[in-house]
Amino acid sequence: MSFYPLLIVLLLMSAVGYWFGSKKALGAVRKSSSFITPRPHQFGLYVVIWALVPPVLLGALWVMLQMTPLQMETGTSQQIDRIFFPILVLLAAGGGLYISILRINPDLRVRKTIEGLVYIILILASIVSILTTLGIVLSLLFETIQFFKKVPMTEFFFGLNWSPQTALRADQVGSSGSFGSIPLFTGTLLITFIAMCVAVPLGLLSAVYMTEYASSKFRAVVKPLLEILAGVPTVVYGFFAALTVGVFFRDVGDSIGIDIVSESALAAGVVMGMMIIPFVSSLSDDIIMAVPQSLRDGSYGLGATKSETVRKVILPAALPGIVGAVLLAVSRAIGETMIVVMAAGFAANLTANPLEAVTTVTVQIVGLLVGDQEFDSAKTLAAFALALVLFVVTLCLNVIALIVVRKYREKYD
Amino acid sequence: MQIQQIDEQQAARQGDAAEMIIKTRDVDVFYGDNQALKHVSLDIPKHQITSLIGPSGCGKSTYLRCINRMNDTVDGCRVEGEILLDGVNIYGPEVDEVLLRARVGMVFQKPNPFPKSIYDNIAYGPRIHGLAANKDELDEIVLTSLEKAGLIKEVQDRLHSSGTGLSGGQQQRLCIARALAVRPDIILMDEPCSALDPIATAKVEELIDELKENYTIIIVTHSMQQAARISQKTAFFHLGEIVEAGDTEKLFTSPSDERTQGYITGRFG
Ligand SMILES: Nc1ncnc2c1ncn2[C@@H]1O[C@H](COP(=O)(O)OP(=O)(O)OP(=O)(O)O)[C@@H](O)[C@H]1O
Ligand SMILES: [Mg+2]
Repeated sequence: MSFYPLLIVLLLMSAVGYWFGSKKALGAVRKSSSFITPRPHQFGLYVVIWALVPPVLLGALWVMLQMTPLQMETGTSQQIDRIFFPILVLLAAGGGLYISILRINPDLRVRKTIEGLVYIILILASIVSILTTLGIVLSLLFETIQFFKKVPMTEFFFGLNWSPQTALRADQVGSSGSFGSIPLFTGTLLITFIAMCVAVPLGLLSAVYMTEYASSKFRAVVKPLLEILAGVPTVVYGFFAALTVGVFFRDVGDSIGIDIVSESALAAGVVMGMMIIPFVSSLSDDIIMAVPQSLRDGSYGLGATKSETVRKVILPAALPGIVGAVLLAVSRAIGETMIVVMAAGFAANLTANPLEAVTTVTVQIVGLLVGDQEFDSAKTLAAFALALVLFVVTLCLNVIALIVVRKYREKYD
Repeated sequence: MQIQQIDEQQAARQGDAAEMIIKTRDVDVFYGDNQALKHVSLDIPKHQITSLIGPSGCGKSTYLRCINRMNDTVDGCRVEGEILLDGVNIYGPEVDEVLLRARVGMVFQKPNPFPKSIYDNIAYGPRIHGLAANKDELDEIVLTSLEKAGLIKEVQDRLHSSGTGLSGGQQQRLCIARALAVRPDIILMDEPCSALDPIATAKVEELIDELKENYTIIIVTHSMQQAARISQKTAFFHLGEIVEAGDTEKLFTSPSDERTQGYITGRFG
């Protein structure tokens, strides 16, 4: 029997079990003198659990066994697969069904079994996400180690030149590739810095306006609008940056006699900042709202104006949270890919001039991995090294954000 | 109005012609469509303690917040009628409510020190109003305010540690000191002792009693004993109206309205 019929039979069995279990429980509960008994559908669920859990465990075991390099002739293995396994599964399900129905009586603690299963499912869900993260980190780590076997660490971390085009064939003439990542990180920093210069003041001021100055009617209309802005796909921002803002900056530059390339860091940074504004403003909005009303009252009661209250009481009280929000925004800007792919381009210039073109780590990762690749070439592996560094940087930022927030909290509570 | 007249006559008879610093005339307050105060008229004597009592939701806090126009900060709140402070209608067009609040200080139910140092908490008001020309003057104001609030001994060697690290009672006295630092004439207190234990309460009451030498104090309280202990005048609010107002002693010994009688003997409220 193959997989799907087996699944259907199992589900049918559990449906029958549910029906039968509830029915038997109904009779038993009616007859029982006990004051409070589990409800019939809970008995039904109990039977279903007994019918499904053993086969699922068996299946998991089976898959694991097959993954171990057990030497077996294909013929016998197939026979076991087709006949032995389904029979085993059906036996397990049937056994579970039989035992559980036999055990039904009003005093059985079926709630406990059901709660226990819920508990296990929840734990499994969180373990899966943790393991996934761990798996990603490990795979990054291994590939990065491979990369550093081909390219020395010093070149990667301290090299000033990035041009990852390696020769495809041994006899091919051409660059041998150089993997100095400094221009990428300075580019990322430059664009992130520009983005934060746009996003932090605008986001913070709009949050202050929304929480302290706007009437509740205005707030009710505009706040959802801002949140819609946060939902615009980044690719839209990307071509906005590339086709509108970049060209606009170049034209402005032309008219006042400054040379601005249309793929300037400035255009990409400004648009990325715009993308992050709703992020900063909605986070700060929540944080400012959480400042207790009693502090505002205290300040107004002393004859402070609104702006004095905002500057001297509300913002200082909200500062730790705001710093946290800004750091989160930074780590988002660093990881942002689409806008810079479209607006900043691939030229790895080492410069601090926002009017020139730069590239970022994320752009280069995309560049390294698009198209047909050999999986063990230095070029492909470089993407893993970059990704690992990016991961570590954002991780550190988030940890710092947490520490800052916690430190301030200790001071103020 | 009638009550007022009786009250004034009484005052005249006792030869105690106290000057009325606040005169409230027919004040109505609305939160949206809901009327919280109805035709409230009340006079507050200078340099005395007036307590406001009444069941929960009867409008005591609302009345208090009218006097320093804190209600202006509430969305949808509307005040009608006149409140005269030294003869000037504080709801008149020429009055700046922000400056008014410097003259009429407020202490809240829950101690609400700013998350700053003790020093900065008290210096907050003087700084925004420019009351001190230099650091020495500011130090002076901070220290005298702490002294007036009876807190100086407890905090003099930790002026630069956080105000939120004090005990509840100390925090409340810090808030009183903070209000005193802007040199108000009137101090409004909304249940200032409700979050305090009996010992801290006794300290704050003692302080309030001393303060009446130089300040006019209006205090909302749920404790009849407290009102009787510390105040000279009492007003009883019920469902947004003033039922009875006058000398504390008279109101508690021989109330003229049976609703007052009922409230002070604990039959409702
Ligand atoms: N911000 C507000 N918005 C809407 N209605 C309010 C607001 N504040 C008070 N009210 C209403 O006004 C009425 C009087 O409230 P107020 O706070 O003055 O009562 P109170 O006498 O101080 O009561 P308590 O002793 O419980 O403090 C109540 O019915 C209350 O629901
Ligand atoms: Mg109140």
